[in-house]
Amino acid sequence: MRMNDRTENLLLALPGLALLAMAFFLPIGQMLVLSVSGASGLTLEHFSRFLSDPFYLNILWRTVRLSLIITVICVVLGFPYAYIMARVSPRLRMWMVVAVILPLMTSVVVRTFGWMVLLSRNGLISQWARDLGWAERNFQIMHSEAAIVIGMVQVLLPFMALSILGVITRIDTRLEEASRTMGASFMGTLRTVVLPLSMPGIVAGSLLVFTLSASSFITPSLMGGARIQVLAGLVYKSVTQTLEWPFAAAQAVILFVGVLLVLIPYVRVSTPRHG
Amino acid sequence: MVKAVPPWLRVASTLLVALTVLFLLAPLVVVIGVSFSESEFIAFPPKGFSLRWYEGVLTSNTYLASALASLQIAVLVTITATLVGGAAAVALHRGKLPFSRTLAIVFLSPLVLPTIIFAIGMLMFWSRVFGPVSILTLWLSHTVVALPYVIRTTLAVLAESDPFLEEAARTMGAGRLQRLWFVVVPQCVPGLGAGAFFAFNISFDEAVLSLFLRKPDLTTLPVQIYGQLEFSPDPSVAAVSAIMIFLTVLMMVVIDRILGLQRFARS
Amino acid sequence: MKTRFDLTLLAAATLSLLASAASAQDKTLTINSFGGAYETAHRKCIITPFEKETGASTKVVTAYSADAFAQVRAQKAAPQFDVIHFSGGQEIVAASEGLLSPIDASKVPNLANVYPVAKANIAKGEGPVYSIAAIGLVYNSQNLPKAPTSWKDLMDPKLSNKLVLTDISNGYGMLGFLMINRVAGGDLRNIQPGLDAVKKMLAGGAIVVNTSPEIQREFAQNGATIAPYASDYAFTLTKANLPVKFSQGVEGTPASFITANLVANRPNQALALKFIDMSLSESAQTCFANELRYTPTNSKAVLTPDVASTVAYGQAAMKDLFRFDAPTIEANRASWVERWSKTIAR
Repeated sequence: MRMNDRTENLLLALPGLALLAMAFFLPIGQMLVLSVSGASGLTLEHFSRFLSDPFYLNILWRTVRLSLIITVICVVLGFPYAYIMARVSPRLRMWMVVAVILPLMTSVVVRTFGWMVLLSRNGLISQWARDLGWAERNFQIMHSEAAIVIGMVQVLLPFMALSILGVITRIDTRLEEASRTMGASFMGTLRTVVLPLSMPGIVAGSLLVFTLSASSFITPSLMGGARIQVLAGLVYKSVTQTLEWPFAAAQAVILFVGVLLVLIPYVRVSTPRHG
Repeated sequence: MVKAVPPWLRVASTLLVALTVLFLLAPLVVVIGVSFSESEFIAFPPKGFSLRWYEGVLTSNTYLASALASLQIAVLVTITATLVGGAAAVALHRGKLPFSRTLAIVFLSPLVLPTIIFAIGMLMFWSRVFGPVSILTLWLSHTVVALPYVIRTTLAVLAESDPFLEEAARTMGAGRLQRLWFVVVPQCVPGLGAGAFFAFNISFDEAVLSLFLRKPDLTTLPVQIYGQLEFSPDPSVAAVSAIMIFLTVLMMVVIDRILGLQRFARS
Repeated sequence: MKTRFDLTLLAAATLSLLASAASAQDKTLTINSFGGAYETAHRKCIITPFEKETGASTKVVTAYSADAFAQVRAQKAAPQFDVIHFSGGQEIVAASEGLLSPIDASKVPNLANVYPVAKANIAKGEGPVYSIAAIGLVYNSQNLPKAPTSWKDLMDPKLSNKLVLTDISNGYGMLGFLMINRVAGGDLRNIQPGLDAVKKMLAGGAIVVNTSPEIQREFAQNGATIAPYASDYAFTLTKANLPVKFSQGVEGTPASFITANLVANRPNQALALKFIDMSLSESAQTCFANELRYTPTNSKAVLTPDVASTVAYGQAAMKDLFRFDAPTIEANRASWVERWSKTIAR
């Protein structure tokens, strides 16, 4: 059988394409259709139900707001960690990598459970807060927005650190040396040389962290409790408890669009325009 | 003259690293600690020392059943994701396909789309077209999610491989299949291996898809743990979680021995 | 040659994995239970004796009634449960939707001894009631030496920051809320008085939980003093060495009828009927009353005096309990849940 290179490649890619077409794009399409389906044909009622209700808009705002906070904290913590990881001895770096990858490879349910124990009223953190006089008897961090942020940062920090690390390791150390030789301080070098060169990693990490945090529901549900909802939690309830699937699909579309709306300007702003 | 790194900065950065590591590992340590607790209340530091929760978990039918389900699905997913992803990576690497760049984006799109959106899309689509979900649904969904990881790791390895090896084989008269099997696949193996480990881990730990696509007799281990957390939390949840952590550590040691963990620090 | 052998091995391994993944259908019963102490008692009083007697194995799925109902509704074409237990009256709607099969009394011998009210509509598919839980005031008798006697006590601002409310996605939580609503001046057509009362309680420091183990945690570790919940749970807390007592409100005692229902379109209904029958037997009934202080529905069940004194027991007591209209609850559930979520949202 005469086959040319193109056909061979096509055959190699075919299973993957078929799988994605059937098991990814088709379901997404089905969901999009469902989001505009009503009792009598196409309708935007599910979207208007969401967008015209302050309760839902509040939850959307909270989701975006918390995701931004989480992303910022991850950058602030992740950048120094990644830089130090890149510049220490290989042995130490390996342990730092392990510390970052181990949580990543543990199920999110397990990690959240650990936080639930630490942050509840009887947890270590609350006890310390009481001992230090910072809080009264009934204090707990659990079931608050702060708890959600803490839990999510721990879950997502590895993504940010690894993303930035990948870029920093490619920065030529001689650039930093040159800057230091010319009299710049260490912090100055960081600011003017390393930081700009790391931007692609920071941007990629932020995209990932923001998207993941806006669409999370397991950690926010467990850490936030019954009274603090995020958008993905609403979607889960609509799908499994109240069985309002068209409404759930509309909420999912709004979630995705919301994420895109925040990310696109961010990418535009932070991608350097010069060569 | 090069200004030295100020000492306060050294101290501050050591502190920062130490605190960050503590922060990253704290929940895992807590979970393991709670699992050895004697009392049935979940508290950390644990009161007393007892292995009874481990005993209970390892003899519990529900946990064993869900662990088995997770294992079955993870193995199936590893096989398909590695095969399909590896083939796709080879095709992408060669770059001779029409719309190569678009195809690359298509293959990596499951990474970009939030899993929850994919999960409900899958549930709605499957229920409408095939009816109740089954192990096949989870198998396919997990494979879709794991695919980008396999493709990425394989592409990374292929990018550093010698493109002329295949050319040399061709000039020596090797046919297509022979070239694939004797030249390309061996070049991919580290990437495939890493991808396979990722695929297994992703599938085993996966909670979101498994929560939406479940049935009474189709509960994976993370979903079982989530359910226990909701309904009857006692240290046995910690024991199961600790076992999962231990398996993860084991897997990481194996990956390191075979492939070296530094690779992932780079991709 | 080696390649072909490897591939065959791979295929065989995959096939065997798939095969073993399919669950064995014969002689397995799939049921739901309610987790925690309930599920433990369920296993002791009914499930384990059932397995011993029939040699079948049971798969128990932990799901509260609303969730289980949603699941069986979504699975209408191919249901996954054989026997489904409801505590919130979902069987009435489920039967009307054809999800449950009518029960032939001749196939369930223990029905002969069950109170008429507990088997009123089995011919329509509404399964028999096998235990009854009274909803009232669960309170810490050390912190509240004078027992609360009225549902209005829940609205006492002094008690608000020690009050635990349960989300209405939970069956008992729903009944407790509807009672608060009734006492606040509302009824099943108007739940706003209830929502307003809850809002005041939350402003005063009350908390909302989703599941019963959280109530236990609040009483045990976080100083909670009072909660509108079921009598059986009060007993569970006393077994955990908490000084908890149960009191019925003078305004009335809503009851939760816990039913065992036969799911339609399932292959092993004979086995399922046997399970339902065993749930109604004297031994199972007495066991449940002893373990969890549920009211038995088998008139022949005999309770010892100390157990009988803490349980609404006997034909006379049965008359004092009332049920909120379940079809109305079911029809309004989604909109009530939405309004409740908005009320409790921070």
